[in-house]
Order: sequence, then structure tokens, then C-alpha cells
Amino acid sequence: MEQTRAGEYDAFVAARWSVLFHLARLLTGGDRHRAEDLLQESLVKLWFVWPKVADEAPEAYVRKVLARAAARSARRRWWGERPVEQLPEVAAAGDMSATVAERSRLEAALAQLTPQQRAAVVLRYYQDLPDRQVAETLGCPVGTARSHAARGVARLRRLLADVIEPVG
Amino acid sequence: MDHFERQLTQLMHQDRQPASFEARHREALRAGVRARRRVRTARRTAGSVLVVAGLGLGLLLWPHGHTVDRPSAPQPMSSPGPTPSSSPTGSPTESPSAPPYTPSGPSSTPTDTATPDGTSATSVPPATTGGPATATHAPPPATSTARDDSSTTPPATASVSAPAEPSSEVSAGD
Repeated sequence: MEQTRAGEYDAFVAARWSVLFHLARLLTGGDRHRAEDLLQESLVKLWFVWPKVADEAPEAYVRKVLARAAARSARRRWWGERPVEQLPEVAAAGDMSATVAERSRLEAALAQLTPQQRAAVVLRYYQDLPDRQVAETLGCPVGTARSHAARGVARLRRLLADVIEPVG
Repeated sequence: MDHFERQLTQLMHQDRQPASFEARHREALRAGVRARRRVRTARRTAGSVLVVAGLGLGLLLWPHGHTVDRPSAPQPMSSPGPTPSSSPTGSPTESPSAPPYTPSGPSSTPTDTATPDGTSATSVPPATTGGPATATHAPPPATSTARDDSSTTPPATASVSAPAEPSSEVSAGD
């Protein structure tokens, strides 16, 4: 019984590690180590509820734990986010590493947001969740989730103005 | 969703760095599970100990045994007077209730010395039949008729045989 449970759990973690790690990285604003810690915590919690959620939606459970832990991180103050005046330098256009640079630029911009705004934006635009589901995942009212997402996007719009060119 | 939001979505999805689930991740996960299991076990044990200690303390301080009898004693104090007057009428039936009254009785009703003890309360009514105080203690006049007959037990039979008529006989006899 325990072996079966462990086998299923390991298979799930191995299959979804990359996706979940990327989500954790966006939620932490690109902090790789913090993202690993966050994902480890969430997967440890998943282990103890695995018999209950294995047949339903284990990934949704991990996503909820990740998002809530990331949104709470401001209150816990244990990973030392520091706002900076200048964003990291932008890669030159046409560079082979332009995509990677954009990602780091995006992560740097995400790091400028508050944890709640970042979680709302990531769930809304990376996970493509509707506002109601974002609110449910974060455990807050729909209006609050919508407000976090709108303010986060507005701030990203200013931070990434030179990366994402406006149409026309 | 405007152009910026579409671009933002595309930017978030594109070029996701491949991250494989390595052995060190597996080990860290196992260690995390073990640590969390220890914490949960310790927390559960501490909770059980606290619950048992609380229950034991509660049972220890729970009022029971001898302390329950004492509060019930003051209840007869409210009616010490009526009890002696009612006891003669139905001495056989009220004998069980007489013992609780007697402890409080001696202090409150010194005149009713006929029932100083709980046990003698039942035997007092027949004994008083011969005395002069029986006229007051024995409301049914049938006892007065039995005085001449010198039979202590008959009063009960006489009263039972003629509940209504003997009263008239007694009054007629006197």
C-alpha cells in the first residue's frame, strides 16, 4: 500500500516537476533557490494528502499551496526581497540569449510586485485561470484578486514598456 | 485582454527552462517528509498528553462522593414544623421520610422529644397512645377510643374498618 502510494507520488512529481518549478519560479520573481524551497514544501504537503487528492487534482492542490505560500511570503519575510531602482540591463535585440534575457527581465519585473500581486498575475496570465478561480486559489474575495491582478499588470506595463512594445 | 496582456502571457509561457527531477530533489523531498512526519507525531503526542492530563484534572476536581450529601441537608430546614404534626397521622407511611428530618429536628424542635432518633420515630406514635399527650399528637380520635381498650395495634385496624363512621362513634362516645 505504502509502496504503491510512493510509486504514484514519485511518478507524479517526476512528470510535473518542470512545470511546477517554472510556476514556483514565476511566483518567487525568479529566485531559483526560493522556488525550489517553495516547491519542496508544497510537495511535502502533497505527500500527506496524496491518498485524498491523488485521484482528483493533485496539481491543482500543489498550485494552491504554492500560490498561497508565495503570497504569504511578504508577511513571513524570510527570503529578503529587495526593490531596486534600476532594472537589470536589457539584452540587445537579435541576441541569441534575447529570450532568456526577456525571461530574466520578466522575472525581475515580477519581483517588483507585491507577493499578492505577483501571485494573482501569475495565476491569471500564466495559469490562465479566471478571476473566480484565482480568488479561490489565493483564498480571498474575487474583487480582491481582480484588484491585485489589475494593479500588478499596471505596474508590469510600466516596468516592461520597452520589452513589450505597444501596438500602433 | 489587450496586446500587452497577450504579450505578457506569451512571455510567461515561452522558453520554459527544462528542470528535471534529480536525485537530490528526491532526497530532499524524502527528508522533508520525514521531518514533517516527526513534527506531526510530536504534535499529536503532545496533544494527546494534554487531553489526558486535562481529563484527569477535571475528574480529580469533579465534585462527587461525600460533598453531595451536605448541600441536600438544608432542604428540610425550611419545613421543620409541619413534619412532627404530619408524622402522627401516617406513621407507617412517613417513617422513611422521618430519618432525614430528625437530624435537623433536635435543634429546631426541642419539644418534639418523642423523635430524637430516626429509628425511634416510627415506634413513638404507638407509645404515645397511652400518654396524655396523645390527644394532641393523635389527630384521629380513634386513638382516644383505643385508650380504653389498652390495645396499641388496634387503632390501625379500627380506623381502617370504619373510616367515616368511627369518627362519629368517637364523638358520640365522648
